[in-house]
Amino acid sequence: MTTSSADVATTHAARDWAGTAGNFLVRHIMIVVMVAIIAFFAYRSARFATPDNLMTILVAAAPFALIALGQTLVILTGGIDLSVGSVIAASAMAAAWSAKNLGDNPLYPLGAAVLAGLVAGALNGLVVSRLNVPPFIATLGMLTLASGVAYVIGNGAPINGLPSSYGVFANTSVGGITVPVILMIVAIVAFAFIMRRTAYGLRVYALGGNRFAAEIAGVRSKGILFSVYVISGLLAGLSGLMLSSRVITGAPNLGQGYELDAIAAVVIGGASLMGGRGTVWGTAIGLLLIQTINNGLDLLLVPAYWQNVIKGVIIVAAVAVDVWAAKRRK
Amino acid sequence: MSDTVVDDSPEIPMLRCRGVEMAFGGVPVLKGIDLQLRPGSVTALAGENGAGKSTLMKIASGQYRPTAGDVEVRGQSLPSGSIRAAADLGVAIVPQELASIPELTVYENLFVGRELRTPLRTLDRRAMIAETRTNLAGFGLDVDPRTVMGSLPVGVRQIIEIIKATSRGARVLLLDEPTSAIAEREVARLAEVVRSLRDQGVAVLFTTHKMEEIRAMADRVVVLRDGGLVADADLTTITDDEIVTAMIGRELEDLFPELPAPGDEVVLQVTDVVVSPGAAPISFSVRRGEILGLAGLVGAGRTELLECIYGIRRPLAGTVTVAGSLLRPGDPRSAIGRNVAIVPEDRKGAGAVLSMSVLDNATLPRIAAFSRYGLLAERRRTDAIGTAMSSMNLKSDGLGQHMENLSGGNQQKVVLGRWLTGTVDALLLDEPTRGVDVGARTEIYRIIAELAGQGMAVVMASSDMPEILSLSHRALVLRDHTVAGSLTRAELASADVQDVIFRLASGQEAHTRLILEENAS
Repeated sequence: MTTSSADVATTHAARDWAGTAGNFLVRHIMIVVMVAIIAFFAYRSARFATPDNLMTILVAAAPFALIALGQTLVILTGGIDLSVGSVIAASAMAAAWSAKNLGDNPLYPLGAAVLAGLVAGALNGLVVSRLNVPPFIATLGMLTLASGVAYVIGNGAPINGLPSSYGVFANTSVGGITVPVILMIVAIVAFAFIMRRTAYGLRVYALGGNRFAAEIAGVRSKGILFSVYVISGLLAGLSGLMLSSRVITGAPNLGQGYELDAIAAVVIGGASLMGGRGTVWGTAIGLLLIQTINNGLDLLLVPAYWQNVIKGVIIVAAVAVDVWAAKRRK
Repeated sequence: MSDTVVDDSPEIPMLRCRGVEMAFGGVPVLKGIDLQLRPGSVTALAGENGAGKSTLMKIASGQYRPTAGDVEVRGQSLPSGSIRAAADLGVAIVPQELASIPELTVYENLFVGRELRTPLRTLDRRAMIAETRTNLAGFGLDVDPRTVMGSLPVGVRQIIEIIKATSRGARVLLLDEPTSAIAEREVARLAEVVRSLRDQGVAVLFTTHKMEEIRAMADRVVVLRDGGLVADADLTTITDDEIVTAMIGRELEDLFPELPAPGDEVVLQVTDVVVSPGAAPISFSVRRGEILGLAGLVGAGRTELLECIYGIRRPLAGTVTVAGSLLRPGDPRSAIGRNVAIVPEDRKGAGAVLSMSVLDNATLPRIAAFSRYGLLAERRRTDAIGTAMSSMNLKSDGLGQHMENLSGGNQQKVVLGRWLTGTVDALLLDEPTRGVDVGARTEIYRIIAELAGQGMAVVMASSDMPEILSLSHRALVLRDHTVAGSLTRAELASADVQDVIFRLASGQEAHTRLILEENAS
């Protein structure tokens, strides 16, 4: 009698455990996908699972991380920021121009890049929040405009021959970790905290989930809307500075198409393009997923064009799996 | 055919459910339902939210496969899993959320999926328009078939959806909450359409939880409670009380609580507020503990008036003061700062952010009180909101539960209860019990009376007549965005008050006054 009830209890416990584990896996399906992809690359390439390569992945991820974080906030409000790739180029060119013309002080390029990003973001924010232009259109305009500005700054050519101090942003290491990677980690943690623990984060979610209800509850929707585009622009500016600092050159085609990888990272992370749903941690996972795929395919010597084909398939498949899992959760 | 059907009624039932059971994830939702619909009958399927009405409708229309039991349509077994197969057998469902395409015209909506073609296989618009016109006229609907669907009132769209279903040969018509979104005037028209379908031999089954609609439209009522069929009666043989008792499973001693006596101090003062261009200014005051009812037809301006007071909408002129301080027009934050609270009519569109948790929704209006230096004070907000929600008797899996997973009544409790974490001087309620089941409704009435008793000045807009009559100290009747008349507590208790309110609301008050004067003399 006791034995049988104990048996029952164990079976129950085992089933509960399996159920909980199953729930966890379905809930965090992207982690499962990620582990599968890591396992595949580790099996196929001896160089993949090494500390050096991990650092390579993180270094490559850093500039994307910043714009993906900005993109997360924008997408949470139900908007989209298509301009970040071009804003990277414009800020990089502004930074390079200032380093070349204003003197050998890293504060000039830092200031120029931050300013360029803020101005672009503020313009996006004003057009979206005050003129009520749909974000897709407003930032599509900025994509073209900022790209034009990037070429205007350098007269259509890259800016070379910059002082070596220009490389300080990307090439300085603290304890063996480069500044961009540190910045990435700090930014992810900071934004995860902001979105989860502050009144501002709650207001962004509320605005994206139901703008009218948020306004009735006293949320200043225009101000919040403006702020997310400013943040996105600022982060794109920093991203442009890091990218151009790495090669100590300002190139007007820098960051081209990066906005699409940033959007993909956010969506893979489980955010809804309708707004109101998504998390910073989700974006971080999505970002690492994309960067891991990039890196792994490089190591396997897959030709660049094929890489795009494979990446496109994986992005859609990953989101399809997530949608399937979301249905299972209900 | 008829000899294969074992049936004691003279005709083959149009729809027959036998021992229908349904369970979702092991949880029983329907527990053995037997139901027959005869041709030319209108049956009300009544029950509270969660009683299993919608599930039964979905099984009857072929969308769900029952766990046990079967459904027959005119003696033929209904294949499940396909609305289309059900439609081929003559069963059509008009869902609660209308399935019309607002950008298309009426006739395009009617014919989409079975378009008439010319011999050249292009669209024969002229033929479709002509047939639509005949169809609409048959139901006494004076609408141009070329009107864009989205420009029509919801009630008319609903009727067109019904015409769409029957014009495709439906003999069994299932209407899910057909009146939830339409105005009272339109309910009468819907009732007419339903009657004319009945006379054509169609079997109609509709879900509702409103007594007036059961009486207005049906000739038989079937009541579900907790997945079981608890009453099935001809409407001539059952009283309203018996139906309500069957729905909620207990005697409904008194739907409305005692109203506490109001205080003397004026809290809310509305002065010469002009709601829309050309409307006469509105002035009134509400005292501490007083509940002021706002009656009127749909479009009379009740919602607009509340929105002007709260600041969602900027009045064209006039001022609002609360406890002596002036509110900044058009700024909800100013109203919130002066302890004004609102519960909007459109809960999903304006009241709550459905994608967020109960806790986060309840935090929003008082976010400043729950944060320091921009950081959310987790303990403080969890404690305060937990207390407020338990005073509302909220039924949820905890404060972390998402709003979208709550029933309508519980969502409403959150939208109201979220204000109670701080002082409220003036409470604005817009249709506080819309889409809320009977049980939760009594609870909300009790809460409203309690809040008034605590000293709030309450303004309650409602198109539910009993609410105005039994839950207000005074009432204003609005028409054309201004006040058409006002009624005292004594007048609200008089026998002919419903008639007076209707006449004021519809603009026949001169006539009324005449009658009143005649009566007086």
